[in-house]
Amino acid sequence: MKKITNRAVSVLLIAAFVILGMLTYIVRYVDEGEDWALYFSRLNTDATGQVIDRNGELLASFSPTENRFAGERTMRVANYHVTGDFWGRSGTGVLSSFWQNMRSFNHVVGTTRSKTGTLQLSIDARLNKTAFTALNGEKGAILICNYRTGEMLCMVSAPSVDPADPDWVPEDGAYLNKGISGTFIPGSVFKLITAAAAIENLKDVEHRSFYCEGVTDFAGVEITCPVEHYSQTFEQALANSCNVAFSRMAVQLGQDTMVEYVRKYGFLDTHTLDGVTTAAGSYPTEFVGDPELGWSGIGQSMDMICPYTLLRYVCAIANNGILCEPTLLLRDEPPKSSRLMEASTAKKLAEMMSFNVAYSYGGKESFPGLALCAKTGTAELGDGTTHAWFTGFLEDDAHPYAFVFLVEQGGGGLTVAGQRVAYTVLRQAVRS
Amino acid sequence: MLTTSKIVLILLSLSIMVRCLRSMLREHYEPETWAFIRSGRETLPVNHWENIIGSSRSADIQVEKPGVRRVHAVLTRNDIGQWRVFDVFSRSGVWVNGAQVGPQGSQIFDGDTINLAGTVVRFQDIGQDKRVKLEASRSAAGKRISPALTLLELTVFQLFLLMQHAIFASAEDLPSIALGFLALIMLEWSCYNAMRIMGRSGFEVETLAFYLSTLGMSVAATSTPGDMYKQILLTIAGVLLFLLCGSWLRSLKRTTAMRIPVAAASLLLLAVNIVASDTVLGARNWLIWGGFSFQPSELVKVAYVYVGAATLDKLYRSRNLFGFIAFSAVCVMALALIGDFGTALVFFVCFLVISFMRSGSIATVFLAVSGAGLAGFLAVSARPYIAQRFASWGHVWEDVYDKGYQQTRAMSAAAAGGLFGKGAGSGWLKDIFAANTDMVFAVICEELGLIIGLCAVLAMLTLAFFAVRSARNGRSTYYAIAACSAMSMLLTQLALNVFGSLDILPFTGVTFPFVSRGGTSLLSCWMLMAFIKGADNRRDASFAVRPGERLRSIGDPTGKGKEGKA
Repeated sequence: MKKITNRAVSVLLIAAFVILGMLTYIVRYVDEGEDWALYFSRLNTDATGQVIDRNGELLASFSPTENRFAGERTMRVANYHVTGDFWGRSGTGVLSSFWQNMRSFNHVVGTTRSKTGTLQLSIDARLNKTAFTALNGEKGAILICNYRTGEMLCMVSAPSVDPADPDWVPEDGAYLNKGISGTFIPGSVFKLITAAAAIENLKDVEHRSFYCEGVTDFAGVEITCPVEHYSQTFEQALANSCNVAFSRMAVQLGQDTMVEYVRKYGFLDTHTLDGVTTAAGSYPTEFVGDPELGWSGIGQSMDMICPYTLLRYVCAIANNGILCEPTLLLRDEPPKSSRLMEASTAKKLAEMMSFNVAYSYGGKESFPGLALCAKTGTAELGDGTTHAWFTGFLEDDAHPYAFVFLVEQGGGGLTVAGQRVAYTVLRQAVRS
Repeated sequence: MLTTSKIVLILLSLSIMVRCLRSMLREHYEPETWAFIRSGRETLPVNHWENIIGSSRSADIQVEKPGVRRVHAVLTRNDIGQWRVFDVFSRSGVWVNGAQVGPQGSQIFDGDTINLAGTVVRFQDIGQDKRVKLEASRSAAGKRISPALTLLELTVFQLFLLMQHAIFASAEDLPSIALGFLALIMLEWSCYNAMRIMGRSGFEVETLAFYLSTLGMSVAATSTPGDMYKQILLTIAGVLLFLLCGSWLRSLKRTTAMRIPVAAASLLLLAVNIVASDTVLGARNWLIWGGFSFQPSELVKVAYVYVGAATLDKLYRSRNLFGFIAFSAVCVMALALIGDFGTALVFFVCFLVISFMRSGSIATVFLAVSGAGLAGFLAVSARPYIAQRFASWGHVWEDVYDKGYQQTRAMSAAAAGGLFGKGAGSGWLKDIFAANTDMVFAVICEELGLIIGLCAVLAMLTLAFFAVRSARNGRSTYYAIAACSAMSMLLTQLALNVFGSLDILPFTGVTFPFVSRGGTSLLSCWMLMAFIKGADNRRDASFAVRPGERLRSIGDPTGKGKEGKA
């Protein structure tokens, strides 16, 4: 009898299998239950929700019976990288990342039914439309943020998609929000970082003279400027965007210091914009020789930056070194802020960027009506084409906006990104 | 109101589970004593009706003397108290009072000597008085944890559940839903009272079955409220069959004598099924007679357990499993032919448990598994819809509108319920095809919450542990094997049902015992419960077991003077 009943453990094996299966389910439930629960809940509960911009303009709405986007096609396309879609194709839009704000779930009570949720964004949808139109079919990204509050006003990436009528074969990169998920060669906008390191590490840099004979030589490798700048001050060197001066500065600072500053200002890290992870940039962190270090100081070499990280940097410069973390949501709470750089460094950089506009970019005549502080960038891709960059901020208490404009393979930073695109968009931002 | 009732339901569920678990698995229950074997100065109790005498540690009567083989002899008792001894693996023979035991064994009486390879032991039957005394000293079931109180908790649970349905059900459905729950309450209390009248105090198995039936009633109320009458009638029929089968099992002789006719009847049933069935959803497992649909394979489950179990002397006298293997093969092949692969798998797992318990041979099991693997491979390649289920397994979220249609909805609804559920009758999954059968676990989780879903699984696990525990004190291996194999069948069904709907196993479409909608399957679950009751040897616990001390009145089996020969 005992001999036979000892074999009853075979039933316990099946029981163990059942227990193991149930544990598997519980682990998966904790892990993925939220995705499961919300997947069909919109179809099967009477939840309704909408996404509106800062002025109450409807960007997207859903109800048990229908999903809607903005009525006008250009509005939909221009705002696609803000909204995303109901099918999670873009992955970074608010419709995917703020799913639970509208239809909530927790593991104890499950889904909460019949919620009517409205998500108001800090984005100005009409400004996005202006920005997208200003790119005029070229590829690129535009980010504008209020540096006092962190509110994002404009976020555009081109090419884009019409979520209500997506193309069968989308354009390359149409589903990528380049402003936060892309990295690009920075070119001369990188000189803002080299300048910050120089301010804090090179003694008397503000009183030094930088002589440019049009070319400098590092161990046989030449770095050139388009013209000779001759004798110039530190401010003038930045305004001239002098490659000779800034590559020498980088070499003089040394690689360790350069890496320290690139890292300190967050250019090598990912960040999060309301929970969406942004792209991390790159900079030569392994040992390189002087020629490469010189190139890296003027934003070439292996430098890559994410436009969003650059936006954070100029926000901090504009706001006395204090960064208010950007957000897409219109909230009552005060912004999350932290010090990114020394106040004195920020002040100096801000002065220099103001000087840039007056000294090199045509001043008020080129940008009438804007209290502009900026830096251009024309990043060489090595195939003869260049990315056009224009970054900076408005020194205007009524419109405290920091911005990054990037036109991929667009040509000159000042003429294309600055005078053509940025001016149009910033004028609209100030007007509205 | 709804929130309070949800919390009450969960607390009652947990309390019912804890009470049953403690009573069935934690309490100490002593074995029965039927006789003694005196070996030298030692007196060894004989605790079963079927005992192995040998030197092995797993022998029921361990005689560690030179010459005594590990399994030497088998000592059995029948329904009316007659004892026999059989020579199984002795090599040197077994002698009773000096006469060698033949292949048919020989009957022994109080005071007889048994010679095991030179070691002489004396058999001592016990008298009526001592037997009554010994029986009285055993712990009775339900003494520490009152089954009536547990059942009362279940009744309150049912009333709260009905209240939740009253919130969500339409006015026209509510009367029949209410009738369903009230009928269930009346049924369980009638059953309980019948047990009390019979002097039986163990009611945990029934309570757990009624708990699961309650969940089944709730699923019926939410998914097919128009069919409540059918559910009530089926539950009543199930309980009656349970009582009938349990009573039948009381006589071991009658039970074992009917094995061959039952086997023949089930083969006939399967044959009729193959010839005259209607195809429903890819499987031809339905017989439809005058408006009643009927699944023969469900009844064959009960028959299979009935036929598969065997007594110890049978196991050692005919040492092969050929008859049983042939019977199993025919059953499984018939099911495969019908197209019911889920049920075929359930039978196969049960076959493994029975054949392992009967033979103890890992090799047999291994052989069977490889054979089945081959057959399964052929089945998968021959039937495209099975191959497709395997292909979509683990990838259901990649195709939520076709191949993963049912599972993704089941998982979504189950998760949406959270721990406390959305309230009985309020879910959306019930409207999806086959929700109340194949995806019933998800319906429970959605409406009543994960905790109650887990309680349903725990109820089945408790029954399984109880079957294994009872087997140890069983009178006959027949009851032990029957209880264990019945539970292996139910557990396998549960695993395939629950894990199939949650994409942990491929989707096979078998029923969750007691909870899934389905007429014949509900009947077969109740009938299988009779086997669990048949193995429940706690004092005065089970109606399916004859009480020990009254047995003597059936006859005077000793035939000799009580003092016997010295």
